[in-house]
Formats: sequence, C-alpha cells, structure tokens
Amino acid sequence: MRRTIFAVAVILLILAAAVDLAAQPKQNDPRAVKIVQAYEDRLNLRGLDITTTFTLVQKKEGETDRVLRVRVYRRDAADTFTLMFEYPDSEKGKGYYRSGDDLYLYLPSTREFVYRNRKDDVGSTDVRTDLFGQPKTLDQYRVSYLGAATVSKWECDVVRLDGKALDVSFPVQKWFFRRSDGLPVKTENYSVSETLMRTFYYIDYASVARDKYIFTKLLAVNHLEKGQKTFLTNEKVSTAAIPNYTFSKAFLEEQSR
Amino acid sequence: MALYLNLALKNVFRQKKRSFTLGINYAIVTFILVLLFSFSQGARVNITSNLVRASAGHITVAGQYVVVGRVFQGVLRYPEVERTARQTLGQDISVLPRYIVRSALYYKGLSKRVTFVGIDSSLETGFRDQIRFLKGSWQEFVDGENAVVMPAEIANYFELDYDDEVLVSTRTRFGAFNTATLKVKGIYETGNFFIQSQLLSHFAFLQGLDLADRDAASALYIYLPNPAGLEAKRDQLVKALNLTGFEAKKPKDENSALAAVTAASPRYEVDKRGIDRIELTVATINEVLGIVRTVLNAVNAVGTLIAAVMLFIIAVSIFINMRMSINERLREIGTMRTIGVEARGVTGLFVLENILLALIFTLAGVVLALLVVLLLRTAVPLPAGGNLGLFLNRGRLSLVPRALDILLIFAVITGFTALFSFFPARRGGRIRPVEALTKVF
Repeated sequence: MRRTIFAVAVILLILAAAVDLAAQPKQNDPRAVKIVQAYEDRLNLRGLDITTTFTLVQKKEGETDRVLRVRVYRRDAADTFTLMFEYPDSEKGKGYYRSGDDLYLYLPSTREFVYRNRKDDVGSTDVRTDLFGQPKTLDQYRVSYLGAATVSKWECDVVRLDGKALDVSFPVQKWFFRRSDGLPVKTENYSVSETLMRTFYYIDYASVARDKYIFTKLLAVNHLEKGQKTFLTNEKVSTAAIPNYTFSKAFLEEQSR
Repeated sequence: MALYLNLALKNVFRQKKRSFTLGINYAIVTFILVLLFSFSQGARVNITSNLVRASAGHITVAGQYVVVGRVFQGVLRYPEVERTARQTLGQDISVLPRYIVRSALYYKGLSKRVTFVGIDSSLETGFRDQIRFLKGSWQEFVDGENAVVMPAEIANYFELDYDDEVLVSTRTRFGAFNTATLKVKGIYETGNFFIQSQLLSHFAFLQGLDLADRDAASALYIYLPNPAGLEAKRDQLVKALNLTGFEAKKPKDENSALAAVTAASPRYEVDKRGIDRIELTVATINEVLGIVRTVLNAVNAVGTLIAAVMLFIIAVSIFINMRMSINERLREIGTMRTIGVEARGVTGLFVLENILLALIFTLAGVVLALLVVLLLRTAVPLPAGGNLGLFLNRGRLSLVPRALDILLIFAVITGFTALFSFFPARRGGRIRPVEALTKVF
C-alpha cells in the first residue's frame, strides 16, 4: 500500500513538474516584467514630439562603408512616425510612414506606397524600422529573468524574451539592462532554433525630458555575415512640436518632389 | 512532259552566273528557315522535357491556403490532393510533393541567396538521373536527414567540400527567422538549365525549417503515363478537387501558370475574406510553357520577316532575270512558236526552269542547314551557365529539324517562284512568232 502511495505521489510530482515546465514559457516572470516596463517607461516618449537625424554607417568586410542618413519624426502618443532618407542621393525621397501596426515604404521612382513588415530593415542594413518607434515588448513577447551579467563595465540584469507568436522577426531575444538606470545596453537576437543572428549594443543615450531617454549611439553586429556591422548615431534631437501633416503619406510624397 | 522537263533542266544553267546568283539567294533563305525552325522546335522540346524533369509536372498543383486569417503560399492537405488525383487520373500516375524555400546560405562569413528544393527522395528519381556527382553520391544524400546536394558553381563560390557544414537562415512563412545546419553530401553538375542552380534538400527538413504543417507542400507535380488530352484531364481533376472541398481552378493566364510552378514559401499575408480555405491552381505544362511559346513565336516571326525580305529580293531578281532571259531567247521563243508550241507551253517552260532552279538550290540550302545542325548538335559544346543555357541539351545546342517544316519550306519557295515567274513568262509566251523571229535587241 505504502509503495503504491509512494509511486502515485512520485508520478503526481513528475506530472506537476512537467505541467509547470510546460507552462513556464507561457507566463511572464514578474521580475522581468518590472524591468521591461521600467525600460519602456523611460524610452516611451508619449506627450513629446521628437525630431532626430540618424546616420547609419554600414561596414562590410572587403567593401567600402555605406552611409545612410535619415530624418525621423516621432509621436508616440499617436503611435506614429515618419522616416525620410536624406543621404545618399540615390535613396533621397524614399521614406517610411508608420501608423499603429501599419508600415508603408514610399518609393519616389514609382510614386507608390508599399505595405511592409513593421520590422523592415532600413536600406538593407541591420537596423530595423521598429527601432525608431516606441517599444512594445510586452505586447509581443513573454519575458523571463535569466540572472545577472556584466557588459563592458556595467552590472546588468538579463531578461529573455520569447515571442508570443512566430510573426516577430526574432522569436528569442536576450536583453541586458543596466542596473544603474534600467536602460538596455545590449540585446541579442536569436532565430527560432536559437542561433545568434544579431547583437545590438546601445552605446549611449541622451535625456530628452525628465526620466525620458533616447539612444544616441548604437552598434548592430550581424553574426552571420562576416565583419558586417552597422553603426548608428542619433543627432540633432529636438522636442519641438511637429505639425500633424508630417505624419501622413502626403507629407512623404510632397517631400520627395 | 518529260521533254519539257529535260529541256528546262538543260536551260537552268545556261546563264551560269545569273542562275547561281539567284540560286544562292534561295539557298540562304532555306538555310535560315531550316535553322530557325530547328531551333524553335528544339527549344520547345528541350524546355518541355527539362522543365518536366525538374520544376513542373504534366499537371502542377500549387496554391495558397488560409488559416485563421492568414494567407500562406502552398498546398495544405496535400496527401488528400494526391488521393483525389489518383482516383481521378488513375493509380499509375506519379505524384511528387515539393517544398521550396528561398533563403540565405552562410559559410565562413560568406553568404548567398539560394533556392532549396525539398524532395521526397523515396519517390523522386528525376533529379538523380539528371545530375552528375562530382563529389558525394545520391545514396549519401538519401541517408542524411540534413543533407544538401548543390551545384558545383555554388560549392566553388563558398569553397565548400564534401561533408562541410553550412548554415541556412530563412524568414519563415510566419515572419520569424529560423536557422539550421546542412551537411554537404553531394556536389553536382548538370546539363538541365532548370536545376543548375538548385540546392536539393529533404522535403521534411525544409518543412521543418519553414515551420510548416506536416501536410503542407509548396506544390505537387503530377506525371501521367500518357500526357495526351492534358487539358481535359486537368479539368476532371479540378472538378474532383472542388467536390472534395478544395477551391480549385485553372490558372487565369500564362503568368499565373508560371507563378504556380515557381511558388516558394514567403511570409504570410493577411486574409480579407475571413474564411479558412485551400485555394488550388491546377496548371498544365502547356500553360506553363505559354510564355516560352510566345518568345519562340517572336523569334520565328523575326526570322520569317528576314526570310520575307530576302524572298522579296528574290522576287525582284526573278522578274529581272526573266525579262533578260526572254529578251535574249527571242529567236528560241519564235522557233518554238513556229513549230507549233503554244503560248502556254512557252510560259510553262520558263516557269518550270525557275522552279527547277529554286528546287535545286533549296535542296542545297536544306543539306547545308542539316550539316550545320549536325555539327552544332555533336561537335560544339557550350557552357550550361551561359546565355544559351536554356536551349542546351547535354551541353549542346538543341536543334530539331522536322520533315514537315522542310516540306513547308519547299512548298512555299516553289509556290512563290511559280507565282513571280509566271507573269514575265506569260509575257514571253504571248510574243507572236513573227515578232520573236524578227525583233532585234
């Protein structure tokens, strides 16, 4: 009898552990949620209009550096941004307009808007368009706390992100949040089979309002293409009000003329 | 009649220089037309057979399916499609499922976008029979779950060798990136244009890489023991599939037929109809080749135009030749008329002389063209990856002369010559004997 009870107990324990294990990725870890929310609060610029100029320098082994400059108008309160290419001349006039989850690429050569994935790569670099808008991590990912790690000189909390659905580009990510201010300093992007594909290093941030930040230097490293890196700098940050018209397709069309 | 023929034959080369000049024109036109028709027919046969052995069936089933508001490319419930095809078209048909993924291949920091074709190696032998392994073997490919067989050109680009491991990264049909490692189990070369840049992998492996359901395929290739009456058989299949719950249809034009056989698995799109369904496009090989046929018809049209211009020059030459010949042979005409040859007899003789000249040089043109065809088909190797790759069969230009085409050329040239020599010949025949014998030029 004792043996039977013991066996049943062991089976129940194993089942419970299995159920717990299976359920684990489906739940958010409260500690990780807190870290992610804190970071999103700092990078969420609701109530502010932001105008910035990003310069992207793409380095590829054996090739000359490719430079792109884009002007970004961002209004988080309306969940929208407009991005316009300023350099090189071959890209001039091209632009993105995002409204909510809808992202359009404007092609001046054909004067048409092409509907794109919201995570479209900007000008075939390793930098994606969602980097320019407000982060929505918890909508798309479940988060879990992995522990502490040191990145450069900073003590960091490491949070793992697992995509709720497979329609995110990188369904597994690891984020390293600086303990001193809660801002991410490094993110690693993995494929479904957990191969490391890209790493983003957030080198510097600028404060645009009280407890509100925007990154000013970022390095994207492609781990599949040997020696391919994209360095991004963010200059001329302004919080002056932007006319509503700027956040429209018509604005992009007009600017390309 | 025999007398006329004999006389006409003797007269053909009376003015050697003039006859040769005109005859060479006939020969060149014939030469161009024979080569052109041989090329066109060869291209049609070659492309059809290579395409059927590589990237399409006699009937190809492709399409898209909607699951919870998302439109995915490919065929869902493909075993059911196969069952329906067998019930409709007979149990002796072959049905090959394919899974096609276009993605990036990485090796030691180098990358290249390539097309992976996932095949069921237990069913498919078409590829095996068309590729020549430089390294590895078919059996080693069959035995390795994550094996890949690639063309020598791609292996050379990456400096890959047998048993090397490569990384493949693809944006799956859901949008997320997925990666996997493949092991090189074969490096091949082929004379088939349609498979020369394809990397062969296993069907199930590519399904997994693309996060697809086990009953999803990019396309199904159906091969019939007798491909006659293909359109009717396809219509039967479409009907049967619709009765089974699929939304099957014929391709609306040649472009959509071609799109059906080249379908890969891109990221899903958002559905607007709001109903889960499986839409199938059932295309025949004739529809797939529609665009090729259009191109070949254009090539034929240009060639025919060139031939028409040359024929026009020939028409003018015939006219001038005849005028000169009649003027030179006035006494002969007068004598013939005096001894009782009627006007139409004289006309007939002149026409016959011209027809004989045309036939002799057309024959010479045909012989020359056939020799060139033989030379190109046997002795002139061309690179499979070159501009003419599509028209090569085992590294040689595919030229197929047809007796029907040659007979047609003979008929057109003979008819043309008869027509354009008749009017000046009739004028010669109508000259009165007295005039012919007394007129001096």
